[in-house]
Amino acid sequence: MSGLKQRRMLGGIAVQITALLVGLTIIFPIIYGILGAFKSPAEFSAYPPSFWPKSFAYTQNFQDAFARVPFLRYGLNSLIVALIGTTARLLFAVLAAFAFAFYDFRFKKTLFLVILATMMLPGDTLLVTNYLTVSRLGLLNSYLGMAITSFVGATQMFMLRQSFLTFPRDLKEAGQIDGCGDLRFLATILLPISKPVLVTLSVQSFVTLWNAYLWPLLVTNSTNMRTIQVGITMITSFEDTNYHLVLAGVTLSLIPAFLLFIVLRRNIHRNMTAGALVG
Amino acid sequence: MTKRILPLLLAALMLFSLGAQAGEAATLVFWHSMSDETGLLLDKYVNSFNETIGKELNVTVEAVFQGQYSDATTKLNSILTAEDYGQLPDVMNLDATGKVAYFNSGRAWTMDDALKADPDYDISQILPITLGNWAFSGVQLGMPFAASTTIMFYNKTMLDQAGADAPETFQDIITLSEKLPEKSDTGLDIIAYSVLPNTPTLANWLGQLGSYVVNNKNGSEAMATELACIDNGALETFLTEWKGMYEAGALTNAAGTTDQFVAGQLAVLTTSSSNVTSLLEKIGGAFELGAGYYPRVNAQASAGATVSGSSLVMFDKQDDAKKAASWELVKYLASPGVQAEFAAATGYVPVNRGALEEAGYQALVAEYPQYAVAADQLAATPAEMSSVTVGPAKDFYYAIQDNIAMMLDEDLSVEETVEIMADELSGLLYQYQQANQ
Repeated sequence: MSGLKQRRMLGGIAVQITALLVGLTIIFPIIYGILGAFKSPAEFSAYPPSFWPKSFAYTQNFQDAFARVPFLRYGLNSLIVALIGTTARLLFAVLAAFAFAFYDFRFKKTLFLVILATMMLPGDTLLVTNYLTVSRLGLLNSYLGMAITSFVGATQMFMLRQSFLTFPRDLKEAGQIDGCGDLRFLATILLPISKPVLVTLSVQSFVTLWNAYLWPLLVTNSTNMRTIQVGITMITSFEDTNYHLVLAGVTLSLIPAFLLFIVLRRNIHRNMTAGALVG
Repeated sequence: MTKRILPLLLAALMLFSLGAQAGEAATLVFWHSMSDETGLLLDKYVNSFNETIGKELNVTVEAVFQGQYSDATTKLNSILTAEDYGQLPDVMNLDATGKVAYFNSGRAWTMDDALKADPDYDISQILPITLGNWAFSGVQLGMPFAASTTIMFYNKTMLDQAGADAPETFQDIITLSEKLPEKSDTGLDIIAYSVLPNTPTLANWLGQLGSYVVNNKNGSEAMATELACIDNGALETFLTEWKGMYEAGALTNAAGTTDQFVAGQLAVLTTSSSNVTSLLEKIGGAFELGAGYYPRVNAQASAGATVSGSSLVMFDKQDDAKKAASWELVKYLASPGVQAEFAAATGYVPVNRGALEEAGYQALVAEYPQYAVAADQLAATPAEMSSVTVGPAKDFYYAIQDNIAMMLDEDLSVEETVEIMADELSGLLYQYQQANQ
């Protein structure tokens, strides 16, 4: 082996190890949380603390969590809100991004800057005004009310526009001459190519909506319209620390996001390679 | 076609809904922040109210969990800002974070109002110090519901083995630490006492010395504008005793945790009295749990600590029948029976004197005397002692904590520390005042 090759290999190993360490650091709290869901209260207060639970057959925490909070119903509520929100958000983002990428119109730059500017507003400052709007629309205590504020997202719009801009405009115009209209171009050419971006944005959007806490709490009043994050607060004890139950709840709430990621992850990969071959 | 049918349909719908309302019981909305087991208990009380008094009055109470107290207060503030008063609940479980919002809501139907409408209610059955916690600017806002105070827990087995008595003052903790062994059976370093003072703990210890931390009775009567513990020397007295305890090796300059206490590493733990049930559970018989009054700064200091917890407040939904029913619910939740059971199950202090006479509560105290300590301590606490309400709550909290910790870490003199704290804390109050005029 030549010196250069050896050095390159060593460098590769160093990069891999660093990546592994960073990855482990990021995922450690999640793993520790999941392991914690299988620990008994006594194991939690044991000193020094243990990393592994005594037994993975200990499911009392999950049973208790289910007995206290209707997790299935709350999970369903969260799922509905997250799906409505994600679908609408992507739909509007795709259409807006298409316009900003391929159309020329007056004040295009200004409008785009206005949209970008909304990203600078912290969500909390909009809480009261959004509440007022949703309340006047008569949408309190409904799925639509919980999801509607997430229908338009500047981040998604921006990301998609950037992605669309990489598509050669000449190619689109060539298609247009051959009779390929805007909608057809969008649906049959642009969207399939942009699948990796779309998938990434969907996952990110779904997880954000799934994890939403304050807004769903604010606009719902009846107990059976609660979302899963509110459910987790319901088993949190205010005066005491019952981490075992809370972690069981958190572990349950992680499942859909994990599933979604596993299913869509393949998609991201496949399309990345597909894109590479075409390029 | 549709134009003609639509009004007809709507009219039919309206008639239908009117008909439905007349027969059904009115719904009373009750927001609370009681989670976990406490939440289940509250549901139980609400159900039994619905089955009894509710049936007589033809109302059904709907108990809704609204997140933690601070979340519920955010929700309350949103509704008030939006002037969407129809969304307000009839009764709400509020902690200190929501006190001012409720007072300023313009829709408050305070406990004073309810008492005017119901002069027969015997208010003397409610512990005055818990009532005082929910008075603001001379108005009794609501009824105390869950009350807790800070008490001292100690590892009785460890103390007995060392031949030490339960400490009452800082000096006693020093004496105790001299008797304790250096290491536990499991090889852990034994700590006598471990606390980082912050706003509530400082309010307790200065309160024992007859002083407030800030003016206007710790901000309970009006916005606090300046410190009230410098000129009277109270802060200096406290810091002197505190430093003495540290220098004698009895105090560790860190926040002692429940886990350390349960593991048999910490001899004395000061924490909320409502932790008694969970502490007993966690210790599970590994050692005997002792409970006593909150330690006193010195032999001259009075006993006790401030009260915290939550209250029940009512809103004016412009419906006299609902208001009357709300008051009935509040009275029921503060009644001796409910308070006795609630206290026994959670470790909160009963706010109703009558609860102490209930058979269930007495049986519990006979078996676990630890439960009685908080109620006894509250009865012994001077009624003027009040928790601190300041605008810059968070900064204030950390300024106290950091400066006292720094005094011990960097061996600053007491006089120096008093000066630094006076500067920094007054500065925070002044800035808040300037920003909120």
